[in-house]
Amino acid sequence: MELVAIEILNGIVLGVIYALVAAGLTLIFGMLDIPNFAHGSFYALGAYVAYTAMTHANFPLALVAAPLAVGTLGLIVDALFIRRLARAGHTYQILFTLGIVLIVQEAIVLIWGADPTSVDVPAALSGGIALGPISFPYYRLFLVAVAAVLIAAVWLGLERTKLGAIIRAGIEDSEMVEAIGYDIQRLFTLVFALGVALAAIAGALILPIRGGQPAMGNELNAISFVVVVIGGLGSYAGAVVGGILVGLVQSLMTLILPSASEVAIFAAMVLVLLLRPQGLFGTR
Amino acid sequence: MNVARPGAFLVLVALVAVAPLVVHYPVLLTQALIFGLLAAAFNLLLGELGFLSFGQATFNGLGAYAAGLLLVHVAHVPILVALLVAALCGAGGALVVGALSMQGAGVYAVMLTFAFNELAFYLAFQLRDLTGGDNGLRGVVRPEFIGISLAGENAYYYFVAAVFLVVFYALLRLIDSPFGHVLRAIRENEPRARAIGYDTRRFKVTAFTISGAVSGIAGAAYAMLYGFVPLEVVNFDTSTNIVIMGLLGGTGSPYGAIVGAAIFTLLSDRLSRLWAHWPLLLGILFCTVVLTLRGGVIEIVHRLRPSTPRRKAPLRSG
Repeated sequence: MELVAIEILNGIVLGVIYALVAAGLTLIFGMLDIPNFAHGSFYALGAYVAYTAMTHANFPLALVAAPLAVGTLGLIVDALFIRRLARAGHTYQILFTLGIVLIVQEAIVLIWGADPTSVDVPAALSGGIALGPISFPYYRLFLVAVAAVLIAAVWLGLERTKLGAIIRAGIEDSEMVEAIGYDIQRLFTLVFALGVALAAIAGALILPIRGGQPAMGNELNAISFVVVVIGGLGSYAGAVVGGILVGLVQSLMTLILPSASEVAIFAAMVLVLLLRPQGLFGTR
Repeated sequence: MNVARPGAFLVLVALVAVAPLVVHYPVLLTQALIFGLLAAAFNLLLGELGFLSFGQATFNGLGAYAAGLLLVHVAHVPILVALLVAALCGAGGALVVGALSMQGAGVYAVMLTFAFNELAFYLAFQLRDLTGGDNGLRGVVRPEFIGISLAGENAYYYFVAAVFLVVFYALLRLIDSPFGHVLRAIRENEPRARAIGYDTRRFKVTAFTISGAVSGIAGAAYAMLYGFVPLEVVNFDTSTNIVIMGLLGGTGSPYGAIVGAAIFTLLSDRLSRLWAHWPLLLGILFCTVVLTLRGGVIEIVHRLRPSTPRRKAPLRSG
């Protein structure tokens, strides 16, 4: 029973990370309609930028530096290249972002080396809280709280602010919004950067738990697509619930059949696809 | 339109025949031919149908493991039987993956081919009793062909070359057939093709299945080349490399795949010895091709020969 409780908690930790990355992908892929294949790469870059910040400075700085640096990179990549490819169609956007995957993975090896890296949990967050017979690390609690706040803040920003309303209107009819006088393309680039920044901060948050390795983005890339398929393309709530579901399934599977935990989540995706192709929360 | 120009195919036959006399590295050349098959299978989907498949390694892996397991566990399997089994397994896998992926529309379907590739990878990784997991499947024998030993690398090169030319010629005929014309109609305007009365979904899944069969044959040839099946045959890097080869050569012509595979194989062989981080250059080269040379390298050939009618590279996703 304690094992189940521990795995549920671990599943939630993993799940909010997936939710964070998938929420970013939903902004970019679901809302802006840009199939960003390099989303996992930005997550990996976030982890490595955080690694440098944590080894040379401190943890709070890492949590700011990772999304800021990687988000800026996303801003540049979108403004210079991806937006220009919009007219060529989805295929070429996917292909271009695939090129970014290659470049980022090898750049990480070049800059930080091919060996896995690891950092300690920040001293202020070491130790754990006693929950009955089990102990839950403070750092994981902190991670869940930060992720939850970020997910809620982005949702509120989109749904409850004027800027969010302009962006949503732009997604519905960009020409009309431009006619009113807003530079919608610039706003879209900002949304792209925000989505990338969410992936980057997820990478920074997971670093003290899982460490970093150059190919870490590929795994998360696949998982975030699974989450988006399960949750429903374009649905922010779907990304969040789907992320947590996938994290729980993967974590609980380690109790039943550890070797099948990855297979299980892809099998779950196939099931959703067969029974409800539009995803749990999707409308299309 | 390609069979109508037998010259190009004859040039290919001649090049394949004399290649070992110029490049004294038959294993590398054999590998280039195998990559050529994989890229041609990929280009059938992207070039003709306009569908970007991100999971081609799935079918390559199915073929490699099917032929590998057969040759490891069963004595005296004829080499053509091994290739046939690999083709059937590749086709079967592609039929399932294609039918399920096409449930989604547009980019969604592309993502699904990718997700199925991941599923196949983790299955191959975890079923280590069957596949050897990350140690690979060892002890794949290379049978002889109607009494001719293929143990020598040159002999095996010419065997793979024959298989390659037969399969590639079949693909050319297919592209030129009414079936191929329907694929291009779907690429240009799927709703219209459906309105004319074609069951477009069936055509798409059939094209996918054929592409899987060709990829399966390539996987089997690969397993027999090295005498073992590494886990890499089914991983995402292999799928990525197939995409790169297809795009590098150009999707506007079936020959583009062969050009792309040849360039990729030679480049990766030379550059990986010069600089360990050459994938960085490959990524930059690839992004440049996507941004500026959508027709791939073969587009340059067409630009130099303005008399040949040029086919536009597809701009839409499937």
